[in-house]
Amino acid sequence: MIDVIYAVALGLLFAIGVFQLLRRDLIKSVIGFGILFTGVNLFLLASGAFRGDVAPYTTNVDQGLQTSDPLVQALILTAVVVSFGSYALLLAMVNIASRRYGSVDSDELSNLTK
Amino acid sequence: MENNIYILLTVFTPIFASVIMLLLARANRAQRWVGLGSSILTWGFSIVVLLMVINEGPQTYRLGGYTPPYGIVFIADMLSALFGVMATTVMMAGFMYNVHSKEKAVGYPTFIPLFAVMATGLNGSFYTGDLFTFFVFLELMVLSSVAMVAMSDNRYGLEAAIKYVFISGMGTLFLLIGIAAMYTTFGTLNLAHMAVLLAEGERELLARSAAVMLMSAFLLKSAVFPFHFWQPDFHTTAPTAVSAMLSSVIVKVGIYMIIRTLTLLFTVEAPQIQNLLVILGIIGIFFGSLAALRTYNGKRVLAYSTIGQVGFILVAIGWANLQPEAGVAPLALTAAIIYAFNHAFIKSSLLMIMGLVAGQSHEHSVDFVDIDGLGPKLPPIIGMLWFLGGMSLAGLPPLNGFISKFAVARAGVGFGEWLALGLVIGSGALTLTYMFRTWQRVFQTKGEVKLHLLEKGEKGDGWLAPAFLITICILLGVYARPLVVLAEQTAIQILDASIYIEAINLFGG
Repeated sequence: MIDVIYAVALGLLFAIGVFQLLRRDLIKSVIGFGILFTGVNLFLLASGAFRGDVAPYTTNVDQGLQTSDPLVQALILTAVVVSFGSYALLLAMVNIASRRYGSVDSDELSNLTK
Repeated sequence: MENNIYILLTVFTPIFASVIMLLLARANRAQRWVGLGSSILTWGFSIVVLLMVINEGPQTYRLGGYTPPYGIVFIADMLSALFGVMATTVMMAGFMYNVHSKEKAVGYPTFIPLFAVMATGLNGSFYTGDLFTFFVFLELMVLSSVAMVAMSDNRYGLEAAIKYVFISGMGTLFLLIGIAAMYTTFGTLNLAHMAVLLAEGERELLARSAAVMLMSAFLLKSAVFPFHFWQPDFHTTAPTAVSAMLSSVIVKVGIYMIIRTLTLLFTVEAPQIQNLLVILGIIGIFFGSLAALRTYNGKRVLAYSTIGQVGFILVAIGWANLQPEAGVAPLALTAAIIYAFNHAFIKSSLLMIMGLVAGQSHEHSVDFVDIDGLGPKLPPIIGMLWFLGGMSLAGLPPLNGFISKFAVARAGVGFGEWLALGLVIGSGALTLTYMFRTWQRVFQTKGEVKLHLLEKGEKGDGWLAPAFLITICILLGVYARPLVVLAEQTAIQILDASIYIEAINLFGG
């Protein structure tokens, strides 16, 4: 059951993320970027966190039950830090761009072709 | 040898130096010299690693002493040691350029620390033996380079940086999905352990889709043809030292990982991927060269030329026959390694020279309209260095560009790939055309233009770093034997995946 819920949630997150990313407003597309990375983190979590019966490194491990995989949580922690860093950097740059160009419309920020 | 401390020192010296440089935030000159000192140290360590690998075989370092596949392991075999030496040498020239750079961006207190962080990301992604650690180092490199481009003197730097973070973010997304798919399938992140499991078992569907995801991420990071569109903007607007690194060594991270994953992990899928690489490479060569011919900005010419040169490397990788039972001498893989190694020195020196020219123009750019008549007034050594570098890029003897083009041609003849070989050699002429055109346009045109800095009596010592790199180019061209022999040994070593796997020593020691 949990697998189905996860698959649906992942699909929704990716769909909303891609839709937001392709918006013209740069702030909205940065938010889409964040949603997509949340989706990937969820995919990492789904790849091993629900295999076992009990949570890892807790008091009730010695009942002969299989523990779930602790590594995926460490991976997600690292991925969250990295994506948070790029999210913050991107927002800061969009902030500067909005002050410099007076707009966050991606069509206004198109001087590179000159 | 296990627990070789020099690998760790090569990776982490720059990031420690960046902490020291942040403490010196008020003293910009001191920052520049500390940066240069740390890069010389790093270069020394990487040379030691290479020598130990040549003499004793692959070296490893286990962080925290955990037995692989648990924990993080750094490994230096011939391939990563050779790429590491390439990266640290070019990085050293970059720091050397920063010492004398007149750019405003280099004067900001965070610029040189970020440059050092980029060096850590670069060295780390070459030495790591673990897919997730590779991702972390790659992001370290990407984010620090983005911050440096956003603070560039060129006023479009910010735009290019925003564009790149979005596109690179998509690449990272694919990389993470690929890593998660591999982890779901095999329950490990260690490259050697994955290789063992892949060789033993049935290939599940998820492993194949992971191969596709990882390959597209690597191709995007090295700006190969269908994923190239961010690269010319990003490399043109970057501060000179950064664009020299981006266009020479950072595009090689993707190339390195393509070689590594093709020879170690996806050996069964390799022929299909390689056919694709040859096609993409040839399209990239023609697209890059033709786009460079119709561009009116010196740095942009070089950025487009990088797309073409990476195409040559991909064609060589695509020709390599990776099946061990075929018994063909690994000519093509040798050619790819030689080409990647030589191209780094040529391209970084050329970009640094363009940066010197840009520093003299009022607009701080090398747009051909802004610099009419500037070239003949510059010190003649700058034009001379550009000429040597340009001829090397076009592949004329006795420079190292000739050796790499010759190696690719020899591999093509060896495999009888006549159509592709003809296309590759023919497009080499395009390189010569656009390098000559740029040389004439920048250094030979007459016009009324005022020098920006030389007028004020400032001498530009900036030519020291490109002169150093061009000297390496000439040395590697005249006395190419050591590099060719090393590249051949590398190709033989990486074709035998068991050497890598034994060096990691899974579940043992």
